[in-house]
Amino acid sequence: MSFWRQVTYGLRGLLRRNERDREIDDEVEHYFEETTAAYRERGLTDEDACRAARQECGNLHTAKEEVRTYGWENTIRTLGADLRFAGRQLRRNPVFAVTAVLMLGIGIGANTAIFTFVNSVLLRPLPYPESNRLTIVLSELGNSSRAPASMFELYQMRQRSRTFDQIAGIWVTNRALPGKGDPEQGKAGEVTSNFLQLFCTRPMLGRFFGPEDDLENAPSTVVLSHQLWVRKFGSDPRIVGKSVPLDRGSSIVIGVLPQDFRLIFPEDSSVPPNVDYFQSVPIGPWEPNGPGFLHLVGRLRGAGTLAAAQAELASIAAEINDIGARTKVINYHLYAFSLQDDDVREVRRTLYLLFGAVAFILMIGCANVANLLMIRARQRLHETTIRAALGASTLRLIRQILTETFATVLLGGAVALLLGWAALKAIVAVEPSSFANLGHVSLDLRVLAFTFMIAVLISAIVALAPISTVRHLKLAEDLKRSGRSTTRKQSRSTTVLVTTEVALAFVLLIGTGLLVRTFANILRVDPGFHPESVFTLRASVPNYDVLREVQRALTALPGVQSVSTVSHLPLDDQGNWYDYYWKDGVSVDQQNTEMADMRSVLPGYFDTIGAQLMQGRDFTESDDAAHQHVALIDEILARRLWPGESALGKRINVSDSPKGPYEFERDWLVVVGVIRHIQCHTLTATVRPQIYVPYSLAPRPSMFMVIRTRGTVPHLASSVRKQIAALNRNVPITQLEPLSSVIARARAESRFLSVLATLLSIIALQLALGGIYGVLSYSVVLRTAEIGIRMAVGAQRVEIMRLVFAEGFLPVTLGIAAGTIWSAVSMPLLDHLLFEIRPSSPVIYLLSIVAIFVLSGIAMLVPALQAIRIDPLRALACE
Amino acid sequence: MTGQKTDVIQGTLDLLILKTLSLEPMHGFGIARRVEQVSRGVFKVNPGSLLTALQRLERAGWLDSQWRNTENSRRAKFYILTRTGKKQLEIQEADWNRRASAVARLLRQEA
Repeated sequence: MSFWRQVTYGLRGLLRRNERDREIDDEVEHYFEETTAAYRERGLTDEDACRAARQECGNLHTAKEEVRTYGWENTIRTLGADLRFAGRQLRRNPVFAVTAVLMLGIGIGANTAIFTFVNSVLLRPLPYPESNRLTIVLSELGNSSRAPASMFELYQMRQRSRTFDQIAGIWVTNRALPGKGDPEQGKAGEVTSNFLQLFCTRPMLGRFFGPEDDLENAPSTVVLSHQLWVRKFGSDPRIVGKSVPLDRGSSIVIGVLPQDFRLIFPEDSSVPPNVDYFQSVPIGPWEPNGPGFLHLVGRLRGAGTLAAAQAELASIAAEINDIGARTKVINYHLYAFSLQDDDVREVRRTLYLLFGAVAFILMIGCANVANLLMIRARQRLHETTIRAALGASTLRLIRQILTETFATVLLGGAVALLLGWAALKAIVAVEPSSFANLGHVSLDLRVLAFTFMIAVLISAIVALAPISTVRHLKLAEDLKRSGRSTTRKQSRSTTVLVTTEVALAFVLLIGTGLLVRTFANILRVDPGFHPESVFTLRASVPNYDVLREVQRALTALPGVQSVSTVSHLPLDDQGNWYDYYWKDGVSVDQQNTEMADMRSVLPGYFDTIGAQLMQGRDFTESDDAAHQHVALIDEILARRLWPGESALGKRINVSDSPKGPYEFERDWLVVVGVIRHIQCHTLTATVRPQIYVPYSLAPRPSMFMVIRTRGTVPHLASSVRKQIAALNRNVPITQLEPLSSVIARARAESRFLSVLATLLSIIALQLALGGIYGVLSYSVVLRTAEIGIRMAVGAQRVEIMRLVFAEGFLPVTLGIAAGTIWSAVSMPLLDHLLFEIRPSSPVIYLLSIVAIFVLSGIAMLVPALQAIRIDPLRALACE
Repeated sequence: MTGQKTDVIQGTLDLLILKTLSLEPMHGFGIARRVEQVSRGVFKVNPGSLLTALQRLERAGWLDSQWRNTENSRRAKFYILTRTGKKQLEIQEADWNRRASAVARLLRQEA
């Protein structure tokens, strides 16, 4: 009841303020009238009664004011008044307001955007049931770590493991998509029947795979992605149970996945986030020496820890080795990583670095705003002194300053939220490849809270500056000085602030220099082929004859120079084929230790993409199963296997001829040519050597056509499409795409980072230069009299300018010194992002130092010119 | 403000107001006059603190208020003790008596 009254009466006081005030006035006046009347009754004259009443009741207005200020609503009202006053102050000095708000806005905004990233990548759990129990299982054998597992290994692990309640596997291939419309290529996931359950609670329609799908005579079944279901099946609600045509026959649709289903796997796993459909493969013992192609995911049992799983996997690996899988590989281990950690392994460090960079910007912004506030507090010292003299309490003055600072910071926070949102949109639009796994980035409440926290923290810190001036008010003295002088202590604190700003900006500049240089180096990397005038598309082909038909048909197009095909495009890292190889005469225990990337090609592939044949010959039409089996290898493999001799005519053992849908039988191949290494995975790292085999020995269901044209050919895409359709062979194809865009994608991350770093540096530099400029020009104003005297006694303009520059370059030099030390310590953290440049590169340091000196010199020019324009007569008159 | 009167002891103003209003509804000046008369001029209240206290008690739910006409037909704000206010008065009265007699005993001993 009483609480209710507090609220309603208070609200009434707030909303119907005049009415309440009038009532109070009325009541107080009534009291006064009664008092007067009482005195009159005692026989005083009207005048005397009035005087006596006034003596007894005190000042009427004071009484009214006292009654009025009762109630919680008045605190709010005072705050409102303070805010209005703060608003007036900010409006009176719009340059200050805009500068401060923008500086904070940029600082906080950048922080918000980056925090959102950190939040969605590092803090937010993966969107899977019990995602903290999901682990990636990888094998390490021979010289390859993080290798996929064979079906045999999976079977053995499932038989032996106690710490995992599920271990499932997936591999992704390129296949034709079922459904209506033009034939199309897409991603097919071959999974063990327990796979989908690990990533999704339940399907949107139908069911997941189950043990019944593993039975020997079980019908072929398929689970569709939501996207495929919408696009190719018109969201048919009765799709479950229907039969759809797939690669070599038909499959029964048993389920459709929810819309938000996506696979978030480590970058290097060749498992893309969006797979179009899933089919199940039974887990059987298979043969011990089978190929490794499965990416394994395990779910820990309720009580199991990662360490326990790791220990168990070590003993399982020893047992698998004993029973003869991997033919007694020397260095065979199994490893488990948390899916969450594994996924962000590479991104984490990059994000922390970005976080550090934006924190620097925020710090520079804060230093600047603190400087501005301090300068303004000094300018307003006179006003503050007068207010104090008129009776404003220190508490009231501090409260006013706090409100003003807080209002500035809040406005900055609002700007920041807008900027952060825009920045995030921009970052997501650019879609850097390492972050490809996070389509679900959005500003959320935690980010809002984070931003606000920063804002409050900053206002507390920033407010310290002006408060210190209020606390040290010496009324009489300050009134006399009329607030126009600076003390050594104050100028020392601005020097410290500017030094810090320069140091922070310098560190960012060094980091940016290194990243930009890295990007330049990546631009210069020779990928091993020439993508100009080369176009590519993916096609599903049933056999060699149809492939040759397509090749011939496309070659016949006007403007086309040559056409060939490859199973896996360079630098397109989604889906890969790699296997063990060994040369003639290698002992059995050394055979399964080295892996190479395998590529199936038609003759003319190397010419078409502009790769370089170093020795021997290209494949010919007669290199097929009926003749001698041949291969081409890259220079790296040639050097590794036969250092100092020619590889031509030597034999290597690889998997080449097909046995069943995805298995290849081991056979010996004769090397007939050596080509220059082609960058297959990234531009910056040589992952594995390469072995090329003719398509006739290693047919694959999905191939990339590569088409080299003479100059630009108009309407190439549509003529290619028409030409293939005219064959009437049911060959599904994807969009035609220039090969150069594959390279652009490979460069995307480095470009993203260098652009971002450049942006951040520009902001940081601008803030720091703004700081230098602000401090110096204020200092010139303060020293007007001094400069006037100097000029009056004959100082030259050059000397005056030197005076200003000396004051400016002191903190700049100190800042560069501090920044150099700081960079030397912190730049090695960038090492993993750099390419062909050392973190301690003297060129970058030198350039950065010169840049800072020149730019800060420019920032000092305006105050310096201001100084020499001072008229000595007027300056002295002012004093 | 004049300093000629004895200020009401801190914390007892509420009790005095409640007690005064337990007799009949009254306006601010009436309460002040009654307190002064009954205490034979020992307690003098100033209008600022009295009216503020009345607001506080009203918000606490112990008093209600009403604008009525006085004998000389001028509108004035009258305060009425509520039921919770009556209870509060009993509590405060008992409390005060306990304290006062304790202090009185102590003072007798000293003497």
